Amino acid sequence: MADALTQLGFASWLSVLIASIIKVTLILVGGSVGMMFLTWYERRSISYMQDRRGPNRVGPQGLLQPISEAIKTMTKEDATPRDADKIVHFLAPVVMLGATVLSFAVIPWGRMFPVDLNAAVLFVIATGGLHSIGMMMAGWGSNNKFALLGGMRGVAQLISYEIPQVMAIIPVVLMTGSMSLQKIVEAQNDFAGLGWYVFSPVGLLGFALFFTASLAEGERTPFDIPEADSEIIAGYMTEYSGMKFAVFYLSNYMSNLAVCFITATLYLGGGNGPGVDALGGIAGGLLSLIYFLLKSFALFFVMVLIRATVPRLRVDQLMSFAWKFLLPLVLVNILSASFWVALLRWDQQWPKLTEWFGAPSTADATNWGRLAIAIVLTLLINAGAVALIMRLTNRNVQKHLYTTDEELALGLS
Amino acid sequence: MTLSHLATEDVFVVERNDADFRAGQGMTKGLGIVFRKFRKALFGKPNSDRADTEGQFNVQYPEERLAMPEAYRNMPILLYDDATGHELCTSCFQCERICPPQVIHITQAKDPATGKPVPAAAKFVLEYDTCMSCGYCAEVCPFDAIKMDHDFELSTANHPELDVDYNRLLRPVSYYETIAPTMWSDVKEQAMKKLQNNIKRRPGDIGRDHGQKIKGGAPVAAAATPAAGAAPAAAAKPRGPVAAIGKNMPEDKTAKLLAIRAANAAKRGGGAADAAPVAQAAPVVEAVADAPAAVSAAPTGPVAAIGQNMSEDKRAKLEAIRAAKRAERGE
Repeated sequence: MADALTQLGFASWLSVLIASIIKVTLILVGGSVGMMFLTWYERRSISYMQDRRGPNRVGPQGLLQPISEAIKTMTKEDATPRDADKIVHFLAPVVMLGATVLSFAVIPWGRMFPVDLNAAVLFVIATGGLHSIGMMMAGWGSNNKFALLGGMRGVAQLISYEIPQVMAIIPVVLMTGSMSLQKIVEAQNDFAGLGWYVFSPVGLLGFALFFTASLAEGERTPFDIPEADSEIIAGYMTEYSGMKFAVFYLSNYMSNLAVCFITATLYLGGGNGPGVDALGGIAGGLLSLIYFLLKSFALFFVMVLIRATVPRLRVDQLMSFAWKFLLPLVLVNILSASFWVALLRWDQQWPKLTEWFGAPSTADATNWGRLAIAIVLTLLINAGAVALIMRLTNRNVQKHLYTTDEELALGLS
Repeated sequence: MTLSHLATEDVFVVERNDADFRAGQGMTKGLGIVFRKFRKALFGKPNSDRADTEGQFNVQYPEERLAMPEAYRNMPILLYDDATGHELCTSCFQCERICPPQVIHITQAKDPATGKPVPAAAKFVLEYDTCMSCGYCAEVCPFDAIKMDHDFELSTANHPELDVDYNRLLRPVSYYETIAPTMWSDVKEQAMKKLQNNIKRRPGDIGRDHGQKIKGGAPVAAAATPAAGAAPAAAAKPRGPVAAIGKNMPEDKTAKLLAIRAANAAKRGGGAADAAPVAQAAPVVEAVADAPAAVSAAPTGPVAAIGQNMSEDKRAKLEAIRAAKRAERGE
């Protein structure tokens, strides 16, 4: 865009500035409108899950409900506690929203990339990590015990779940050989646009693990421990009202939206789908955008479904789930991803493979023999690991489920 | 596992089979149930039976309404006869006596000529704001004059408006018949018989001089002749109700009622005989809109007096006084 402006006769610095401003505006507007739609979408769908109808009065099908609520929150009083650390209290929502908006810089809208970073995956993870700072600022700056508890819980949860989340992306990076989101999307364009990573055993497990860890990162039920309203009012948001609360809300939903977008990009092929390449040009771009949004909102529907079904975890359950269940599986998944890549790509190291199964399928033609072996091998590894770890977890659970007579006699139960 | 110190029959143990491989089947099942509920609520039929556990339960209230049970009771209303315009209330004070929050206030009508009490109420005030909708008044009324209404949308910003006077309490019998047909048919005969007896003891317009009941031509003429009062009420029925409904209800409601009645008439199998009066009724309803004009345009005999809350002999007296004054002034 900057080049086009330079050709129109603008100075080069000016054209870069104008192009950046336009991009930033588009991203911010897209993110906020997406968030507004998301609140409506969540409320409507969860209403139907509970045999209700949800907001359907303001505008057609209640679509303008988020706007009326935005106006409501903006006109509310913005109170700051007397004993709060005023600067930190004020900055906390700004940091939260800033971290969320930053991650939107690299998210591809279908095949349209605002910025194609060569380390976009790292960038997304890093901006996601900034959330814990905002949370801690809000919890500490409010000078309220519930806020502090919520902030502490939030930081503990985010730090624990960042590890499985990050490590669940490693298989994708291995299989693509790049951290650029654009390259990742391009790598999933085989088989007429249906070569999504989720259809391979490695990608399937990675998708499940990444999505679960992302639920915890986005503080969605059943991992909404930082803002568990039945225990600690609203967690770190307890002392916020009016516009600041709205900013927290915006940042929460935008990060959920970002999680859906990134999951769709990493595992569900982004804007890839049948017919995108055939159309090409602007029409293909629009079709890819539609595919991308459909995938993202389907993922968000799953989030809502989980919210409507599963009750909140305890803190210890949360931690043991992260460290004893997700992390081992993620490690195993990295192993099987290495096998996958080794079988499909690396053959200078292992000339025998080329002798037996032909050349690797790096470029145009797919080598079906190698692909079949890779699928079988990774499927065996992953399924075996899942079965083993679930059995171990079950045994652990069983051990603590019942009280024995001896324990009862000793009063240990 | 045993819990030896407890009586075994008091303990319910959830059996978890150790041999079963548990890999999130329970959670998947739960998600499946929630998704099925989602699907049924979004695409399925709305819930019709209270025993149903799936489907849309909500009724979109201002647009859709559930049918009210006949015995539903909200606030008391007073009935008057469609044909004659006579109120059923005789001011026997039974309701005033039984009313637990004591919100009913009645003044008995007096014969202006003799000063003796007449079986009719001169004033009737009911405080809707304190009424507790117990329905005792309707239960106790020996003349079936006070009944419980189904209209529950009574909220107002004007508090004094909730002290409802006679004019606003009155509803035609035909209105009550539409909201509670079987309950009215049970008592109709005796109520009408008692009303005819009471009408005989009411001089002049006493007992029908509240509200603006009689409108739209034919029923007025019927009411004006004393013979019509003694005639069976059913004779005037087909036309009377329609005019009467229009008085107490907004126009759209009237139209709805008419439609309902037309459907009922068709159901009853009366065919053309019953449906015809309903068809005739349409212009009558239109006439209701400019009813005050219609009343003042036909000032024949007693009819004119009714609208203006004035009895015949009162008017005669007034005329006499005016004539005397004119004579005094020497005209």
